[in-house]
Amino acid sequence: MRKGLIVALSAVAIFGGQLSMVLAAGVADNGPGCGLGKELWRDQNTDAWGKQVLISTTNNTILPFQAFGITSQTMGCKNGGKFWVEYKTSMFAQVNFENLSQEMAQGQGEHLASLASLMGVPAEHQGEFFAMTQERYTTLVKAGEASPVAMIKALNDAVATHPVLAKVSAQ
Amino acid sequence: MTRLPLIRFWRKSLHNSLKDWWRAPIARWGPFSFAGVWFAAPLLILAVSQSASATDIPNHPYLSELIQTASQTKLVESREWHLLLHYRINVFGGYTSEADDPQFFLSPVGRTDPQAELEATIRSLFSTELVGSSKQPARCAFIARYHWLKERLAIDESKLATVDCERFELWFNELNAESITLIFASAFLDNPASMFGHTFLRVDQKGQTEQTRLLAYTINYAAEVPPDQGAFYPIKGIFGGFKGSFMTPPYYLKVLEYRDIENRDIWEYRLNFTEAQVRRLLEHAWELGNAYFDYYFFKENCSYHILSLLEYADPTLYLTDQFHVWTVPADTVRLVAAQPGLVKDTKYRPSRRTVIQRKRELLSGEEHRLFVNLTEHVESIKQETFVRLPIQRQAFILDVTSDYLRYRSETDKSHASVYKEQNRVVLADRSALRIPSEDVKIEPFSKQPDLGHGTSRASVGAGWRNNDTFEELSIRAGYHDLLDPEIGHTQDAQVEIASLSLRHYNRADQTRVERATLVNILSLSPMDALFHGPSWKFNVGMNTIRFGDCQLCSNGVVNGGIGAAVESHWLKREVVFAFAEAEANYSRAYEEDHRVGGGGTVGLLSDLTERWKLMASGTYLRYALGDKSDDFRWFVGQRYTLSQNWALRLEYNHRDHDNDVMFSVQAYF
Repeated sequence: MRKGLIVALSAVAIFGGQLSMVLAAGVADNGPGCGLGKELWRDQNTDAWGKQVLISTTNNTILPFQAFGITSQTMGCKNGGKFWVEYKTSMFAQVNFENLSQEMAQGQGEHLASLASLMGVPAEHQGEFFAMTQERYTTLVKAGEASPVAMIKALNDAVATHPVLAKVSAQ
Repeated sequence: MTRLPLIRFWRKSLHNSLKDWWRAPIARWGPFSFAGVWFAAPLLILAVSQSASATDIPNHPYLSELIQTASQTKLVESREWHLLLHYRINVFGGYTSEADDPQFFLSPVGRTDPQAELEATIRSLFSTELVGSSKQPARCAFIARYHWLKERLAIDESKLATVDCERFELWFNELNAESITLIFASAFLDNPASMFGHTFLRVDQKGQTEQTRLLAYTINYAAEVPPDQGAFYPIKGIFGGFKGSFMTPPYYLKVLEYRDIENRDIWEYRLNFTEAQVRRLLEHAWELGNAYFDYYFFKENCSYHILSLLEYADPTLYLTDQFHVWTVPADTVRLVAAQPGLVKDTKYRPSRRTVIQRKRELLSGEEHRLFVNLTEHVESIKQETFVRLPIQRQAFILDVTSDYLRYRSETDKSHASVYKEQNRVVLADRSALRIPSEDVKIEPFSKQPDLGHGTSRASVGAGWRNNDTFEELSIRAGYHDLLDPEIGHTQDAQVEIASLSLRHYNRADQTRVERATLVNILSLSPMDALFHGPSWKFNVGMNTIRFGDCQLCSNGVVNGGIGAAVESHWLKREVVFAFAEAEANYSRAYEEDHRVGGGGTVGLLSDLTERWKLMASGTYLRYALGDKSDDFRWFVGQRYTLSQNWALRLEYNHRDHDNDVMFSVQAYF
């Protein structure tokens, strides 16, 4: 039986795995930081690293958020919170592009509502925002396929020229 | 197919291909990294601190006074101090912290000496030296400790070193916390690491709505697995070979991971914490950002550390003490739900697969045909039968079609681009309808996890085998088998780990280990026109057989199989399944002590009533190697649920000239 037990133990080890193991982190602090990130956002098409983000999540890993508290001091984001707000919206659009396209076509949804809130559309005018995205679905998705930043820009333009949303949104 | 258990290896190679990406600077974009705005400030502090490091703090009279008060009030013995430092009583009766990062302690002996650590902490309040792996003044790096000491010792802040915890404030303001929600992602058998589910916390934001809760941050504890870990990585994971730490990804990422990609149902338990308790929890979480813990898959895992955060938020809660050998996520959820008044409300977030299945139930026969047609040929949208439908029904069918195409693009990666392309056409048509989709309330297939039976099981039974009678005692470490009450557990998913049954045969007057299971996993995925996932099983253990001249012989078993299942609703719910399988046996009863062969199993799993479940299966195996023989066996088992943690079973096992009937009472704990 002993031999059997060894075989069995190694089998359980293979099947063992970990609860929520994360691949990542422990990254050497050698990045040029914010500046490069910004470039990436501007130039990258939707698929480049967004896809990898998705792949990484399939592996039960989570995004490249380093342990907090140890927040990097070398990001070099000199423009303060402004970049972050922009980044937060693009990052949301990037990661949730599939959910957003679906909800834009359906004229409602929690991802779309969250995006509206990130863009400063007041909750009581979400309905108009939803209808607008449904109407311009094809254009918006085309922009989104180029880059999340382009989609946000297209959305911002659409809001700016919208008879109601332009007045109420905190841009 | 990518849904086999051994995708571990496939994943491994994917990990490797991604390793450069992980090393890329993007990996440093924490949501809070923008604290780097304050790049210059720490440098300044660093310059100042050169002249006032902790080692040469002058003997400040106030410092001695505080240390004295602390010793008079016996602060070192208080539960909160132990919670803050994660001290546990060790085998020698002293204390050892569970934190394994030396930088988490201010005293060099702090990990094992609560008194020295307390004094070092009080001393550090007079210093601006940057400490911890986050390199901040002690009062900021260990802000929960400071605030606790400040309150207990009534510290006069003006007598301490002046520091400004801007990084903490930025982080805290970004979280904008109002309440805390415990999130449970249900078990996912196709990834061994997720077989028991996962828990983490969501930090709900002020002014958050039902919909914008996606934007809230989460507090997630997980092991960091560096790339290139090789085949030993699961072993390292079990025995603490990796470092675990806390991170704060936004909730939408977790929803994407669990709901959209892995198709796992999510349960959200909003906790009843006061504003002060929420703040305590976050301050302590911030401190833990300074620490790593050796990650132990079975005990000191995600759920364990999440409980420790809840305990510090409300020190009247005793949660981690309840777990000694393993911490199973669903058990922690049951424990939290059992604390009086702790859970405010419970919300369910269905997986995409559940959404599709529930929406299908709302389609008429004709509509369902159109739906299946659409998933195959997008052009059928132009069909007269579709166009004739009311616009709301058209929208509903297109919505579920889109859900399904997204499900396929995640589960059939090799054809993902085809499904995405189809989905795009469907969505373009959907947007042209110009009406918003109606909200559909999706009910879960299995109820919330806190209603489920306990993880471990003990049973007492008696029965007949051939010409003998016996009594039996069984114990199973975890987790759930197909006949256990399924409330709160993933449907059709069996995971049994470590069980042992002892039997006494009365006539033979023999007591023996009747059965033992190391691991026994069985996953049934009912197939139909839309869902094609295979069923699979894997079992390693031993049982007792009657073979040849041997009346009661130990028999080692390794068995694995792949098959298919179909669901029906003749009575209530039935699942019929079939497997092709391979098996190896090891026993003295065989010629050459072993036999290896293959065969198949067919079976039925049926809910007769809410509480009464039946399972029947027949297996035929032909062994071509070792002892050339064959084996034909039958099993019929029934379970009747008495309450959440009590059940009755009647089981009949038949093999050639070997009949075994047992009745047992089972208790879960």
